[in-house]
Amino acid sequence: MTALEVKKLLILLVLCFSPVVTADDLPIPSRPEELVFEELTFQPPNSADFRHLLDNGVVVFLLPDHELPLVDFSFRFTGGSYLDPTGKEGLGMLAGDLIRSGGSSSSDAESLDEAFDFLAANAGVSVGLNGSGASLNCLASNLEESFTLFIEMLRDPRFQTDRFDLLKSEIIEAMKQRNDSGDEILDREWKALIFGRDHAEAREQTLASIEGITDADLRWFHKTVFNPGNVVIGVTGDFEIDTMKTRLEEALDGWAAGNRCSAPPAPEAEFEPGVYHVEKDIPQGAIYIGARGVVRDHPDGTTLRVMNRILGGGGFTSRITNKVRTEEGLAYSAGSAMIPGVHYPGEFRAYVQSKSRTVALASKLILEEISRIREEPVSQEELDIAKNSIIGTFPRIFESKNTVRDLFVNEERYPRAPGFWKTYRDRVKVITPEDVQRVAREHLDPARMAIVIVGVWSEIAPGDLEGRAKMSDFFGGKVTELPLRDPLTQEPIGP
Amino acid sequence: MLRSCTLVLLLLGLTLPLAAQQVAPEVYTLENGMKFLLLPRDTQPNVIAVGWAARVGSVNERPGITGISHFFEHMMFKGTTTIGTSDADRDGMYIREQETVRSKLRATHLDQQYERWKRGEIADPWDQANDTPEMSDMRARLREIQESQKKVIRKNEFDEIYTRLGASGTNAFTSHDLTFYINNVPSNKLELWAWMESDRLQDSVFREFYQERDVVHEERRMRTESTPTGIYQEQFDAMFWQSSPYSWPVIGWTTDLNSYTREQAQDYFETYYSPNNLVGVIVGDFDFDEAYSLIDRYFGRLERGEEPPRVVTLEMPQLAEKRMNVECDCPPQVEVRYHAVPFGHRDEPALEVMAEILNGVTGRLRKSLIEEQRLATSARVIVDSRKYAGSVGFSGECQAGVDPEKLEEAWYGELEKIQSEPVSERELQKIKNQVLASSYRRLADNFSLMIQLGYYEALGDWEYINEFARQLTEVTSEDIQRVAGSYFDPSDRNVGIYRRKASGGGVAATDPLERFAPEPRAMVRQYLTFLPQMPLEQVEEMVRKMESQVAEAPPDFKIAIEFMIEKSRERLSAAEEEN
Repeated sequence: MTALEVKKLLILLVLCFSPVVTADDLPIPSRPEELVFEELTFQPPNSADFRHLLDNGVVVFLLPDHELPLVDFSFRFTGGSYLDPTGKEGLGMLAGDLIRSGGSSSSDAESLDEAFDFLAANAGVSVGLNGSGASLNCLASNLEESFTLFIEMLRDPRFQTDRFDLLKSEIIEAMKQRNDSGDEILDREWKALIFGRDHAEAREQTLASIEGITDADLRWFHKTVFNPGNVVIGVTGDFEIDTMKTRLEEALDGWAAGNRCSAPPAPEAEFEPGVYHVEKDIPQGAIYIGARGVVRDHPDGTTLRVMNRILGGGGFTSRITNKVRTEEGLAYSAGSAMIPGVHYPGEFRAYVQSKSRTVALASKLILEEISRIREEPVSQEELDIAKNSIIGTFPRIFESKNTVRDLFVNEERYPRAPGFWKTYRDRVKVITPEDVQRVAREHLDPARMAIVIVGVWSEIAPGDLEGRAKMSDFFGGKVTELPLRDPLTQEPIGP
Repeated sequence: MLRSCTLVLLLLGLTLPLAAQQVAPEVYTLENGMKFLLLPRDTQPNVIAVGWAARVGSVNERPGITGISHFFEHMMFKGTTTIGTSDADRDGMYIREQETVRSKLRATHLDQQYERWKRGEIADPWDQANDTPEMSDMRARLREIQESQKKVIRKNEFDEIYTRLGASGTNAFTSHDLTFYINNVPSNKLELWAWMESDRLQDSVFREFYQERDVVHEERRMRTESTPTGIYQEQFDAMFWQSSPYSWPVIGWTTDLNSYTREQAQDYFETYYSPNNLVGVIVGDFDFDEAYSLIDRYFGRLERGEEPPRVVTLEMPQLAEKRMNVECDCPPQVEVRYHAVPFGHRDEPALEVMAEILNGVTGRLRKSLIEEQRLATSARVIVDSRKYAGSVGFSGECQAGVDPEKLEEAWYGELEKIQSEPVSERELQKIKNQVLASSYRRLADNFSLMIQLGYYEALGDWEYINEFARQLTEVTSEDIQRVAGSYFDPSDRNVGIYRRKASGGGVAATDPLERFAPEPRAMVRQYLTFLPQMPLEQVEEMVRKMESQVAEAPPDFKIAIEFMIEKSRERLSAAEEEN
């Protein structure tokens, strides 16, 4: 019997045999490891229990919950801004915003906005890179009115000209701010480098592409994406299943189902490993270090998640944060992210923001941590923290009706391997330090990475005052200078 | 264009809930004065949102220690005599040794370096590059001690314990008025929370004090100095608040950040972190009996302290308008801010409803400033009611070619309207409908509900969460007119005018349409949209029409029409080449 078990037993004995002892007199354990917790059992919900087919074949997930008098709809559509034709970049985003703000067949834009606001109904439409969505949150007491307005807006948007015009000028004003903050420049140049400037991940709208978008373009995008052939629906809140099914069937009745949109094309770009820099006058350099990553369904996916927790994705319990922030005080924000892609490999990137003089040192420490996790097995203790955390927070993935609904809807569109969530914790449990080292070796190669930096090069290049690191230490001192780009044309701005 | 009438009729027959949804936590106060708000809810099973707030923020600071509330929040994660070290005695010894050297170094800065700076010999008394040899030696000695201390420090052990046991979102935040420590724990681990939090409230050890100070410097660089408008907003606040301690930033002035001592932090802890100045909040999947017994055992062991000192200095009335002109890497914009009311003031609900009538997709500002007058791309009014004082401010970003001063004028126009004409019943009813709906929506997430309850209680009284919603629904058109008339005096104005800096870096590209006034610009933009699709004969026809009109057009439109003719000709000649 270990000391810990003895203590647990003693606590139990006190509980069972000393009727005079009240809870207040119980001793407080000297360390948190001595606390005894009741077993918590949790089984993830089964999507099949909530899945229904409408008479036109559309899949819906219905998760009623009568606690609050609210109903929440989520329509998710396949197809996103990757469908924007070349020269019409920004079309999807514009179309999404205008479906919401441009009125519908029977109401002009002003009346529709006013009606939603008066009903206190929150309606939204968004077009993202690889998927689009429409949502409605309304009071159960005016479900009929709110939902009718919402469906009409989705099926039959008006794309009112004055709103179209106004939105264009708002987008152009926002575009002018593209070089105002270092983070934004970094995000843009990073995507362009690792996915290629012509791929949808990195393609940028310009003044010309926005100016060239016509009413016909909007209608084409709406018809292509926002139709029952592309949709999966999820509803939570205060409703009855049968009535809701009927309501949805009536709403979709006669709405022509188009073809399901094809998957977005995979990026083909390759980049030269090395240091890339964009000049911007800010007191702190903003840095990404990384490369392309893996697809969501990669067999190493779960192990990579554990690996990244230990490396830089676990906040204060991960190595990069510990080293760069806690130990050296070089940054407020430092860590790493493994971002898988559903359709094509995503990205791995470590990030840090540090004052110009310590950009080189912070980068060096991060690269050392990336090398270390490849070269040495992680400690059992670090691995346990990462695994226990993933297992312990597992129920939070299914925390609320809305998060469960969103997960079901997403996985209906992009299914995972059968039993993925049922066996998830077991698959985490068996991961060993050797597994972590293997995936780090296979998927992280510092020699094949890019370091992208936005900041003042004359202060960044020489490195820290104590001479611990300088920029010429990396990649043989080779630096590619990236030009700042004109915010409206995205053409390089000459020196 | 046809406006729909059926819709409006339909809305009159609406049924909406009559009263805002109440939130009713159980209040439990320990003998030591620590108050707890307990709200068991089973909608999100398996997890509990937990937090505690100290009624202390930057408003309780003074010059010399600005930012210490926030810095202190960072130090609370460094552990205790039990957590964070393998050898508390040696750890304590290293800390004392560091303090001896540190206080000498600090004194050298404040005496010798400040003197040199005053005489103009050095540009920055805190820049390491200006260190004397004696100071460099002290720094070397500090590094040695820190190296030795590393061997007995368990880095981030506090976070590790929580993380290993399935807690998430372990964090904290500091505002002007409060400091809030938060996370989520699995529903079987409420005792872990009670253990960890009462332990750090009982004997926090401020280790890695000086490394963490560097982290906060980086935080300041990131949040304030590297954002397009951060440092200017900080200056605007400092201009706006005259005598009130709200004039300094929560993160603190750089000199003060450089000079805090462990002793000051310890003082702060003893003054403001006694249980009688704290409020705990638990929302989620737990039961009362367990919570009562854990609170008694763990938080009951904390000793009541003296009542913390009161904030004395109130804001002096402002007697004359103040203006700030900024050039930065930012869109042209304007802010106009006035002094208003503290949290809980009887005029707060009317000011809030007035702001709601102006804000939002169907609010007056969008309709008038954005859609009709085409002056702004965004515009809003924000009521900021803090514990001891408050403000109300308008801010907006300009459309292309619009001067911030023009947008400022337009705001005064909107203000005058709301001062001179009663708002319509419909506008008022719309806001009330939204208040009712959001009284339900705010219950959707336990974590945000926990923060709201703690926030209200730390600023005054948690019951205000219900009270405020009720008061909002009772605001009348007269109330709005009254507050609009009493809080927006021109002599109380603080105006920030922001213009885009003509940057040497060449961020010079402009919208070719910018030179046109808003109305003709809209016309040109619309024309350019249709031009590529127009049949060639129609383009020719348009050119003829425009040419016949251009002479009589008002000057604003004349240059726009000339531009459209030019673009049409380009289209025609391009088409010719293709053939």
